[in-house]
Amino acid sequence: MTETIIAVKELSKNYRVPVRSEGLMSSLKSLVHPSYSQVKAVEDLNFEIGVGEMVGLIGPNGAGKTTTLKMLSGLLYPTAGEVRVAGYVPWERRPEYLRKISIVLGNKSQMLWDIPSMDSFRVLSEIYMVPEQEFRRTLDDLIDLLDMKDLLTKPVRNLSLGERMKCELTASLLYRPALLFLDEPTLGLDVSMQLRLRQFLKEYNRRNEVTVILTSHYMADVQALCPRVILIHYGKLLYDGALDGLARRLAPFKLIKITLDQKNGKTFQNFNQPDDKVELLEHEENRYVLRVEREQVPSLTARLLQSNSVTDLSIEDPPIEAVMDQIYTGGAA
Amino acid sequence: MKNPGWALMRGFWLSWLQYRSFLFILAFGWMIPPLIYMLVWMMVAGSQGIAGFSQGEFVAYYLVLILVNQITYAQTNWTVGDMIRVGEMNRILMRPIAPVYDPLASEIACKIIYLFFDVPLVIVLALILKPQFHIDFTEAALFIPALLAAWALRFLWGYWLALLAFWATKADALLVLQDTLVFLLGGQVAPVLLLPDWMGRLATALPFRYMVAFPVEILTGQVTGTAVLHGFLIQAGWLALAYILTMILWKNGVRRYGAVGG
Repeated sequence: MTETIIAVKELSKNYRVPVRSEGLMSSLKSLVHPSYSQVKAVEDLNFEIGVGEMVGLIGPNGAGKTTTLKMLSGLLYPTAGEVRVAGYVPWERRPEYLRKISIVLGNKSQMLWDIPSMDSFRVLSEIYMVPEQEFRRTLDDLIDLLDMKDLLTKPVRNLSLGERMKCELTASLLYRPALLFLDEPTLGLDVSMQLRLRQFLKEYNRRNEVTVILTSHYMADVQALCPRVILIHYGKLLYDGALDGLARRLAPFKLIKITLDQKNGKTFQNFNQPDDKVELLEHEENRYVLRVEREQVPSLTARLLQSNSVTDLSIEDPPIEAVMDQIYTGGAA
Repeated sequence: MKNPGWALMRGFWLSWLQYRSFLFILAFGWMIPPLIYMLVWMMVAGSQGIAGFSQGEFVAYYLVLILVNQITYAQTNWTVGDMIRVGEMNRILMRPIAPVYDPLASEIACKIIYLFFDVPLVIVLALILKPQFHIDFTEAALFIPALLAAWALRFLWGYWLALLAFWATKADALLVLQDTLVFLLGGQVAPVLLLPDWMGRLATALPFRYMVAFPVEILTGQVTGTAVLHGFLIQAGWLALAYILTMILWKNGVRRYGAVGG
């Protein structure tokens, strides 16, 4: 690995959340006697990230992704553990540190709502004390990469969701941060905008050696951008490594798609043996999709091919969404 | 010029300019109570005057008060609680400049817009109502620091109250209380000199007089000599306390901040 830029050690974050059941009575009761529960949002996380890496932080809703991002950026204080980002302790929020990082939270904006985006960019560039020439150059680059020349003169509140995301990204990159934390950057964007954004991030990362951590529920984002993923679930680290490795390790099955020859009238059931761990996922006329445990794949395919009744056969890894669903619902992990 | 504070102020200024009419209506609303009390006291004073105040002196007092009230009113404090509750604080915390720049820049930016509305109106009122001023140079010179300190005090006092939103979901009610106390003890309902004795003593001891009335009293010659010095000391004391409270609450509040997802 290249030089480490983020080091996370035994990081934990507990929230104290007020709880009360519904209804007026309980709301009165909680007025006098509020009760709280401790929520462990993040528990004992350990990982390191190198300069220029693009890492996907994935996990189901409420897994602790955003909490982790917020601690890395310095918005939240951890309950326990240590974090070093670019040599700084994030939550001390030193100006030198804040000039090095940028965080884009899907639902929060750094743009000034009522004025043209160009005015916002200028204000931001001055807050970050970007020299005029550098500002011009960076802005031109970004306008070019994101194709957003037309947006500069419109007030932000008149822009569409996707256009606003372009502005957010531009705003977050104006001062050329070394680290980029992206929380759901493609939320609400149409397919072509998602593709554009991915291309842009990839290109930007390549050109500038920017370290990027992104969370997304679109596995396509993660597949396209992140050679490495960190999977957290219930605040704990479940997996840290390559995305396809995740599928292999956490989803111990493959999909076999077969088409049977209709002439000899055989059905899939003719090949199924009692001890086979095979699940029939789809069946339409003579086409079948089977979910088969990895170690049974060779024997089952051999049996199928020997029978001379198969006209087409393919073996595939399950789609990443299916693997994730299994993990999220507690199946494979 | 590349200056973060100036840039922020310009940003707010541009944003606020989109809301000109809204701000003018607000400014007009803030003007109404002092105007009403000015008219009431003018009636009471009649041609004889009351407790040493002539009609013209009441006009002078309230016209200055309208401007001072506007300049010192910290409207930004009303949004601090919401920013904490909804998570808008993120934007401010992630900037490489001190977070207090944000409300300060907003305050200064909107004040400039308010004054565009207030100053001409006060001049027109002055032409109609003929205030009686007897200002000497020392009073005019002391008015400026008293006004700046009054603004700082009113802003910081409201700011630390608003920061309680880190602990309580709705801390705005305390701002309403502050406004009420400023109204009663800050020289709006009546000049502090005319308050009943016990209320006058209360007004002199508590911080609210020093948020509005004190500079007005200096400029209209109601406090003189050692009373001015005394006033400055109390004002400075409350200002120091407000500053310390703000620092403590900010430091501890930010640690608690974000105890919500999203």
